Amino acid sequence: MRKTYLFVIPLFFLTGVLHSQEIQMSRSASLEQVYGDVTESENLLPFNDLNMEFGYVLYQAEIKVKPEETLLELENVRDYAVVYLNDKLQGTVTDDHKKLTLNISPGTYTLKLYAENIGRITYGPEILDNSRGLFGSININGAEIENWTIIPLGIKSCDVNSLQFSSQNTNGAPSFHKGYFDITEPEETYLNISGWGMGEVWINGAYLGSYWEEEKQQSIQIPANILVKGKNEVVIFDLKNNKQELLRLSGKPLFK
Amino acid sequence: MHKIIFTLLFIFQFAATKGQTQSIDLSGQWGFQTDVMDFRRGSLSPRYNHKLQDTITLPGITDDYKIGYKVPYKYIDRLTRKYEYMGPAWYQRDIEIPKEWGGKRIFMYFERTHWLSSIYVDTKEVSKIDYISVPHNHDLTGFVTPGKTHRFTVCIDNRFQYNTHKWNHAHTEFTQINWNGILGEIRLAAVDPVYIDDMQVYPNIADNSIKVKIQINNYTGKDVTGTATFTIKGENYTTKKEVTVNGKSSVFSFEEAILLGKNIKLWDEFNPNVYSITCQLNTDAGKTKYRHEKSVDFGMREVKQGKNHLLLNNRPIHLRGTVENAVFPKTGYAPVDDVEWERILLIIKDYGMNHVRFHSWCPPKAAFRMADKLGIYFEIEMPMWGRDAEVDEARYNFFRLEMRAILKEYGNHPSFVLYCNGNEITGNFDFIEELTATGRELDNRHLFSGSTARTRVKSDQYYVSQQTNKGSVKVYEGLPYTDWDRNKESDVDVPVISHEAGQRCVYPDFHEISKYADSPVEARNFEVFRDMLEENGMLDQAHDFFKASGALTVVEYKAVIEALLRSSKSAGFQLLSINDFPGQGYAPVGILDPFWDSKGLVTAEKFRESCAPTVALLRYQKSSFFNDEIFTGKAEVYNFSKAGIKNAKIKWALTDQSGMTLKKGDLKTQNIGNNGVFPVGAFSFDFKGITSPQKLTVQLSVNDNIRNSWNIWVYPKNEKLMTSTDDVLYTTVYDDKAKQQLAQGRKVVLLPLPNKVKGRKSTFHNHFWNPIMFAWPPMTIGCLIHDKEPVFDDFVTSYHTDWQWWDILENARVIEMHDTPKELRPFLQVIDAFDNNKKLGIGFEANVNGGKLLVLAVDTQKKMEQRPATRQLLESVDKYVKSDKFNPQVKVEELFIQSFLMK
Repeated sequence: MRKTYLFVIPLFFLTGVLHSQEIQMSRSASLEQVYGDVTESENLLPFNDLNMEFGYVLYQAEIKVKPEETLLELENVRDYAVVYLNDKLQGTVTDDHKKLTLNISPGTYTLKLYAENIGRITYGPEILDNSRGLFGSININGAEIENWTIIPLGIKSCDVNSLQFSSQNTNGAPSFHKGYFDITEPEETYLNISGWGMGEVWINGAYLGSYWEEEKQQSIQIPANILVKGKNEVVIFDLKNNKQELLRLSGKPLFK
Repeated sequence: MHKIIFTLLFIFQFAATKGQTQSIDLSGQWGFQTDVMDFRRGSLSPRYNHKLQDTITLPGITDDYKIGYKVPYKYIDRLTRKYEYMGPAWYQRDIEIPKEWGGKRIFMYFERTHWLSSIYVDTKEVSKIDYISVPHNHDLTGFVTPGKTHRFTVCIDNRFQYNTHKWNHAHTEFTQINWNGILGEIRLAAVDPVYIDDMQVYPNIADNSIKVKIQINNYTGKDVTGTATFTIKGENYTTKKEVTVNGKSSVFSFEEAILLGKNIKLWDEFNPNVYSITCQLNTDAGKTKYRHEKSVDFGMREVKQGKNHLLLNNRPIHLRGTVENAVFPKTGYAPVDDVEWERILLIIKDYGMNHVRFHSWCPPKAAFRMADKLGIYFEIEMPMWGRDAEVDEARYNFFRLEMRAILKEYGNHPSFVLYCNGNEITGNFDFIEELTATGRELDNRHLFSGSTARTRVKSDQYYVSQQTNKGSVKVYEGLPYTDWDRNKESDVDVPVISHEAGQRCVYPDFHEISKYADSPVEARNFEVFRDMLEENGMLDQAHDFFKASGALTVVEYKAVIEALLRSSKSAGFQLLSINDFPGQGYAPVGILDPFWDSKGLVTAEKFRESCAPTVALLRYQKSSFFNDEIFTGKAEVYNFSKAGIKNAKIKWALTDQSGMTLKKGDLKTQNIGNNGVFPVGAFSFDFKGITSPQKLTVQLSVNDNIRNSWNIWVYPKNEKLMTSTDDVLYTTVYDDKAKQQLAQGRKVVLLPLPNKVKGRKSTFHNHFWNPIMFAWPPMTIGCLIHDKEPVFDDFVTSYHTDWQWWDILENARVIEMHDTPKELRPFLQVIDAFDNNKKLGIGFEANVNGGKLLVLAVDTQKKMEQRPATRQLLESVDKYVKSDKFNPQVKVEELFIQSFLMK
């Protein structure tokens, strides 16, 4: 009886360590490594025209900005996009919030819109228009932006083992981040993604799941069978680079 | 003698005055008036206690009496209601309140109505209730005088009382109609003023006990004391317990634990042991005695959240279910009687299922009663869908009350296993979490979930969805191989049920039009589709379209269900649906029609091979083989039955179309566990000696009672294909050479590359749900194969497509053939969306400029070494065109050929 008792305590202790472990995400990989075929187009093209059912696409254009305060207006956002100017995060847009004020000084900028789409609309008035991604027009201070470079991003399907990671930081642009954690005994646990924006996660090269800061659910279950004794690798892609450097493990599912 | 008579009289008198609930059945004729202008309530008529001038029989709905707007239209997206009525309608009856009811509480009870009922006693409105999922029980005490005749005028208002989504199945025109009327039991009842308002029974299977929670309403204004006698009855079982009761306030509660002993039996799908518990309450306040009795049914079962499955009595269960959407076109409303629900639930059992999800509605009591009796697990929902969770306090309060009412009214039923607020909800998820957490707190006899297929909340105990944050868990369609599942994606923090699986559209069966003669709705949309088909010259093919697309749906559902059974980490699936859905554009996705009658596409026995408590499963890599390849199958047994299988004899066999066994073998005899999916071994075989194309069947059996089978196809290598001769020219372009060949009266086989053909992309699958709601590709409903045509002499096929057609149809283009002569029928015909009904084909033959042309818009270049079926089809075409049989009769202009080819 006493023996069992002694055995239980260290096991509990180890479990505690695993479930609260912090993971330093110290290495990063640029998104350029998963760029698909580039399409140059005067107008925006929805995912449909790129033969994509869902996923991520980068829409990029040069813009000239005159006044200090600038209004960016998108006609259609399906379902979500993150707005960067010269690789600096400006904000996010969705189909319900399609305007964004940019506080920037006059000049020429590279506008990058990283769009994400999870699939078809099956409900509501837009049901018959199943265009995905960004389409229609995007205006800056009322003038339509033209000449887009449109690049599908092979994120979900990418082989994270073949990505080149370095310790350089990515200037805040969307990118992949990598870190390691040690475990003594593989067991089911949860990855706490709170603080991160939107994206995907891989563990030991295997796709784990997706996350979004707007969801109440803030963790992804990690089954024991994809973990190994010792060093484990986690790769996270963040579309909206929240400049996080830490991931945590959690013993239980987390909700906001 | 005198003494005896005196005693008897005394007893009689006692029973009459202190008796239990007494009631007057109010079914029958009522006065009636419509009020489409919604003015009566504000008019002077109630004040003058006007007698309504029309009559109606209740229970019933206005549609039964052709009341309302006679609809002249043919609705395209749903069945057409013959007489629409939405507004207040007035029902009236003069009733004498029995004199003996003095001192009692008096209620008017409507088992089910839609949606606001209000009662006027004589000239005054005295009660209003607007539940939609539970009975309306109006307390009229104090407004009626025993011994007096009152005029009761009831206003039923079926207009939307809250701003809820119009598609909610509790009140949608899409399935059951938004009827006006009163259904089920309609009665006036009297009870003593100390009565049991609520009795909830909480089973504890660990010690064979129940905890009974009783709420007593005490209208005496005095302290009451007495006894509560519980009688629990079931098959060969009776037990009693008496407890003392006392209370002071107007409402008081008590809990009582009752040990039921070892003879009480658990409830589950295999052992649906239902018990009744009656509480007889005898109380007195001073000198007056009161008596009341209440009975409810319950089952000894506990449901818990397991790792990946629901745990019923601590055993993992797997849900094989269908989505029920209040589809009741025969009556226009959900049945409230046991007979019809027993019929429906027996059909569900007959097709091997154990579960029903009630999508955005809650069925009447009879459904629960029959599910308790037959062993079916229910998921119950409120009328909540889409934006219903956006902020709206009035609507929120409706939901708050509705949820509590559902739990109170139906919570004792053992079949009520799952509760979910509603379908695919958007809006404020703090509110969804509030409801879900409250539900869990109120009633631990069910598992709770926030919403299907949308944002997860903290209090979720299970999740019905098409995806989790680990990936897609939906299965809408099959694949020509079976070595896949949804395990990884289903493995999250709660059990995951695959949402709305299947949804494969069948072409409508126009024979169903006649089934609506006595219904409040009719299939005028079918008439439109039928007329369109006739106009396009294909009415004679209507039934073939139905049968071919229906057969494909059967092929798909087998694949869909088996994929979800292979997913041992999935908690189950909900097929959408075993019956047709007559709204949202009209989705004939069922193997049963909207009346729950079989469409004749598959027998229940055959369906159970893939959908039953025990199913033999096989994982394999492909369906079409060259004859020098090897077939390898990995056998699994899905077993969520009563018990494991001891010494299971597992046999496999390969049979040909005549039923002859070509090969067979045994896997290791073994014990198979229960409540899981168990690998039981692998086998492989070659196809040596098979030189002609063949459809073969791989059979797998476990002992003698469990069997399943899968079709595979074997083809010779067909190394040399598409060889032109002087007589026959093979070409991918319609060029001068081809024209010349035709002009000379010779033969041309045109195999255009699909990307050079105008028209729709071809696909194996029939359209998802229906082409009206989801007007996205493919907008086709499978193919009709003219299998008796000689072009198929060397290609083994039925009139419908099966998995051998995969590599052909996934690499083809659909030619729009509307402008060809009516007599021209493509041998490989594609079935158009039923709201378009144009002639479509992938393969056809015609006489062009005096020559013989065969067109097949199938890719013949891409990875041909991996496409044995396409090779065989080309071989069959070759033999045909090089024979005398190839002699197309219908003349087609060259212009048409050019019209579908890209320059």
